[in-house]
Amino acid sequence: MKKYWSSLEEFENKPIQQFDETAEIREKNEILEFLQDEVSNKSSSRRDFLKFCGFSFATAAVLSSCKNPVNKAIPYLLKPEDITPGKATYYASTFYDGRDYGSILVKVRDGRPIKIEGNELSSISKGVASARIQASVLSLYDGANRLTAPLKEGKSTKWEDADKEIRSQLESISSSGEKTVLLTSSIISPSTKKLIEEFTAKYKNISHIVYDSISFSALLEANKLSFGKEVIPSYHFDKAGIIVGFNADFLGTWISPTEFSRQYADVRDVNKLRDKITRHIQFESTLTITGSNADKRYSIRPSEEGVNLINLYNELAGKAGKPALNKANGVPDIKAVADELWAKKGNALVVSGTNDVYIQLIVNSINNLLDSYTSTIDFSNSFQLFQGNDKKVNEFITDFAKGTFSAILMFNVNPAYDHPMAATFTEGIKKAKLSISFAGSQDETSMLCKYVLPTDHYLESWDDAMPKEGLFSLAQPAINKLFDTRSFQDTLIKWTGKSGDYHQYIKNYWSQNIFPKQNKIGLFEQFWDLTLQAGVLELGSASPSSSFKDDGLQSAGDSIIASSRKVQSSLPELFMYESLALGNGSNANNPWLQELPDPVSKAVWDNYAAVSPKYAAEQGLTDGDLIKIKDIEVPVLLQPGQAYGVLAVALGYGRTAAGKVGNKVGVNVFPFIVVKEGNTQYFTTGIQITKTAKKYDIARTQIHHSMEGRPIVRETKLSEYLKNPEAGNELHAEYEKNKGTLYPAVEFAGHWWAMAIDLNKCIGCNACVIGCQAENNIPVIGKDEMMKKRSMHWIRIDRYYSEDAENPEVVFQPLMCQHCDNAPCENVCPVAATTHSSEGLNQMAYNRCIGTKYCINNCPYKVRRFNWFRYADNKAFDYGTDTDLGKMVLNPDVVVRERGVVEKCSFCVQRIQDNKLKAKLEGRELKDGDIMTACMQACSSKAIVFGDKNDPNSDVSKAMQNPRNYHILEELHTLPSVGYLTKVRNQD
Amino acid sequence: MSYCSGNEKINTRFYLSVLVLALLIFLLNNGIFGQDLIVGHNKEAVKHRGPESKESMIGERMFYGLVKLENGRLNCEGCHSLATTPKVNWNPSAYDLSVWMEGKTTSDLKKAFDSPSSDLMETSHKNAKLNDDESKKIMAYLVKVKENGQVFHKDFPIKLLLFFIFGLLMALALVDLIFTKKIKYKVVHVLVLIIGLAFHMQMAMVEATNLGRTKDYAPDQPIKFSHKVHAGDNKIDCKYCHTGVFDSKSAGIPSANLCINCHNVVRNGRNSGKYEITKIHDAIDTKKPIEWIRVHKLPDHVYFNHAQHVVAGKVECATCHGKVETMDIMAQYSDLSMGWCVNCHRQTKVNFEGNDYYKSYVKLHDDLKSGKIKQVTVEQVGGLDCMKCHY
Repeated sequence: MKKYWSSLEEFENKPIQQFDETAEIREKNEILEFLQDEVSNKSSSRRDFLKFCGFSFATAAVLSSCKNPVNKAIPYLLKPEDITPGKATYYASTFYDGRDYGSILVKVRDGRPIKIEGNELSSISKGVASARIQASVLSLYDGANRLTAPLKEGKSTKWEDADKEIRSQLESISSSGEKTVLLTSSIISPSTKKLIEEFTAKYKNISHIVYDSISFSALLEANKLSFGKEVIPSYHFDKAGIIVGFNADFLGTWISPTEFSRQYADVRDVNKLRDKITRHIQFESTLTITGSNADKRYSIRPSEEGVNLINLYNELAGKAGKPALNKANGVPDIKAVADELWAKKGNALVVSGTNDVYIQLIVNSINNLLDSYTSTIDFSNSFQLFQGNDKKVNEFITDFAKGTFSAILMFNVNPAYDHPMAATFTEGIKKAKLSISFAGSQDETSMLCKYVLPTDHYLESWDDAMPKEGLFSLAQPAINKLFDTRSFQDTLIKWTGKSGDYHQYIKNYWSQNIFPKQNKIGLFEQFWDLTLQAGVLELGSASPSSSFKDDGLQSAGDSIIASSRKVQSSLPELFMYESLALGNGSNANNPWLQELPDPVSKAVWDNYAAVSPKYAAEQGLTDGDLIKIKDIEVPVLLQPGQAYGVLAVALGYGRTAAGKVGNKVGVNVFPFIVVKEGNTQYFTTGIQITKTAKKYDIARTQIHHSMEGRPIVRETKLSEYLKNPEAGNELHAEYEKNKGTLYPAVEFAGHWWAMAIDLNKCIGCNACVIGCQAENNIPVIGKDEMMKKRSMHWIRIDRYYSEDAENPEVVFQPLMCQHCDNAPCENVCPVAATTHSSEGLNQMAYNRCIGTKYCINNCPYKVRRFNWFRYADNKAFDYGTDTDLGKMVLNPDVVVRERGVVEKCSFCVQRIQDNKLKAKLEGRELKDGDIMTACMQACSSKAIVFGDKNDPNSDVSKAMQNPRNYHILEELHTLPSVGYLTKVRNQD
Repeated sequence: MSYCSGNEKINTRFYLSVLVLALLIFLLNNGIFGQDLIVGHNKEAVKHRGPESKESMIGERMFYGLVKLENGRLNCEGCHSLATTPKVNWNPSAYDLSVWMEGKTTSDLKKAFDSPSSDLMETSHKNAKLNDDESKKIMAYLVKVKENGQVFHKDFPIKLLLFFIFGLLMALALVDLIFTKKIKYKVVHVLVLIIGLAFHMQMAMVEATNLGRTKDYAPDQPIKFSHKVHAGDNKIDCKYCHTGVFDSKSAGIPSANLCINCHNVVRNGRNSGKYEITKIHDAIDTKKPIEWIRVHKLPDHVYFNHAQHVVAGKVECATCHGKVETMDIMAQYSDLSMGWCVNCHRQTKVNFEGNDYYKSYVKLHDDLKSGKIKQVTVEQVGGLDCMKCHY
């Protein structure tokens, strides 16, 4: 059997030292000694007795003055028809923050949004929302950080005054012929686009520039050169027999990860497709979740990617009988990859995430050789996200610093933080006469602006979107405005002198432009209501004919070779990537996301320089060493699978004006981005690093709750699986053969809840962790507590490495309470606070728990959490729920746990009960799939299945019968209700 | 090093203090004082009582009917009582009047005095007239009433008294037993001590179990809404107003617009005249929702769903809420304790055949058919699981 390990220390059999436990024990002893001295050396006297009496009197007086509080019950004055107090309502809406798009359902309870879920009707979201999108509900209630009124030079002002002053200034600027710029993120709302057109028509000399902090402009440019279309096409990972990725983290962060991960999971379903499951090869510079899921993974330096692609092209061109490019030298043999690709010609897909036109041109040519443009890549329904053009942005910033523009208006962008030329930009903004930022909260850019106009949270405003050509969606407010804010669009409507609001504007736009495109519904009002209810309108677009041109391919190849020759291979390279939780850093003030472990390194509340163990050993670096790169200091984290000679640091950290949660967390590496051929390039070569004498602690969750190297994950290869479906799961057969008990089997009269998790489908994206957090009121505890291994997440995704430390194989394993039918925790509880329910749930009665933690110690799965400090309602843990406004995000159906109790996954019992009740009220049987736990609901790859094991036809019963099914530590006879299906790697 | 040494002494001291503490908690607890739950008593106002002007003193006497008016004599306090009453008083209390008076002039008072909003008011006000001077004085007094805040009715603390009497008796018995030795037969001492202790223990038990429970809680509401008039006399179905019972966990307190459905027409109440009903209209006009005092409240760690019990379980409202149709002031009927819930779950039969949901309980159906069990109770379908109510 393979050896699995969760950290390098475990791999090398070294003790894990993160939190100094000896110090804790010492501290404890000191307290005990102090107490002992107090009690042993004095004899009790009459005085003591009187003292105690006095104390008792005082306490009793205080306690008895705690009268039952008087509670008010304040009903609506005029009750809205669609709201029933105590009952949740779901509204379809749209999330778009300039980076991620999601068609969503907003769960509203008693008038306040409490949870975001994906919209089933959208072909992009397909019922799921990423971790970032789900966490966005928390920022709605961020009262400490959100702007509550317009600001003029840092002081609050009135909207009327701001409007008047700005309009007159804009008019004078435009009439005097001076230039104004409107800098926005990619706008995907058709109504907003039209509104901006009208606005720029009214005030002359306004240029609209689109700036994406995470840019895909090289891909756009390459597609323009190859096909004459400056668009990002649709990708169909679900049609690919083989996927080869080059630094494209398409399961985590690349373009539309939720959509892609769903497609990916579909073609990796080994139960259905058997030998037809897709093969995935990944070339990458740091270990991402995409690489972790690959069947074959190559670690490459970012500067080597181009050369690899040239070689791949040449191999394929040889097979296709096309002329090869000039040869590149000194890279690993890529012939095997070419052979595999060629064998699957017609349903292969090659993608690259590198923002380099030459690389993208070669990728286009490779896909063309493989006929991918007729199968896996599709120019119909092309993406409307990421329209930014780096060249234009860079040109603008250079001009801006020269004082070319008199006024700047900014919406949804933060160039003072996330642009490589932030300093130049800052220079420009100081020269501008008028600078306006439309922002929900202060950021590095808005701090420099004369006016900051607070925008609504997206859950408070109307909007529409067209994420792909022909796919429309609507956003509607789910709550009244909390503060004196106004949407960007409403402001533009005011300034263009129009009447009405943005809601009316969208409706007008839709009635004129979108309603006529369909012919199903004849009345606009009906069409509007139905679309609003559905949230999406998917008309699709016709596939435009596209002819491929490979002009400039040869010169692209030559340029790549030329620049690769310049790279000093003796010096390390710095690779910058978007972290799964924080993205470009605009969510940095969201505590849920800060505390979301990185899927691979499992680090929280920090970014770090990931270094390969071999390279670190050569350079004398160890975990936690602070190194200096130019003027920043960043801690080293030894990351198995990290490319040799490459330091990888996540973007989106090191904010200085994000808010109290996000400020000064990690370091900002945006300034290291270089501009190459006009496009921002997310790596830089030939960097100098110096080791400092300092150490830095990074909080990592994987070494928490270690399961001591038992056979917890089981896997096999596809070839083995096809021969024997039980391959890799022999231990289960052995267990089944030998199992036995003296006790009678427990019977569950009605339901018997169970869960099955397919390890082959789980991609480790962490969406379930946030889903659970929102559903179950999981508190945020901060970095210090995380360092003490007090993580409160009820579901965690364990990541195990195996094989080579330099390029390991990775398994992700979601782990929550296993709801054992013979639970070890239940029989050690001295107060019967944890018991078994008649439906197979391992119950936890918080009010009964006295906090002995016996159950935690006796749980072999390490899934029970101890609430040390009443985290959810504690000023010392000011991560939102400590304030009245922040508490609005809590799910009222789930208890907020007190200090000193043990808590854990409940299988979302509130959802079980809710759906059972629905069935009872309707007088029908429960259907399989009616009940979805929050993690199952959030899972983009549908790896988690929940249901009734008493129903032989339920999905979960079938999964339990699957020969791949096993239970963790089943040999302990704990009889877990959670089954896992073995991972099957597509390897021979 | 042992942490056990010296523990015995600590234990004695600890137990003693716990004992004293426990006794004191029961002693000082609300129940013993027999006092109503206090609703917004304005303690600050009591403290900073303004100087009593002569005007307000005369006003007070007029209010009590001690000083004759120019035209007739009237005991205002007889109807507009100063303290809350244990039974419903349909007339606005002196405090209500004082709140109403705020910002009003003497002519307002005279006008209101002369234009009766109910029959009772008409008969009681018709024999008297207020002049300007009298109105001024009564208003001055009412300002004082407002400052003093709402006064609450208190029951005589009989239980506390008994507690002390027994305590005293026991103390005397002890003293006599050890020092004075006046009484010859020691059996008397022992008897007194046994009876006294038994009484104290019994009381402690009762008070301890009732800690935090609010059975019979019947606070004064901002509007003298009578369930007796609505559900009893007029036979309005509970579910007409409490619509949430059909599909929500909360039955819901009706919103003001629901009241208006009827009270748009019914403007004159049979008991309180226009005074109370006008408050609904005022709420709508001023856009201030009515702030009712919540009577039934389960602790936060309990999940209770009305729809489950009323629709799926077909439980009558009265089973838990008592004869609401006889209550002028809404009172909590059941103690809403966990034991009470569990008892009901043990005894109540489930609508097992009538609801298709239960089809999946195959084994129970078989047992029913074979006669192994006669009926299915809530307990048998998991009604006693912790996580049916606590999650």
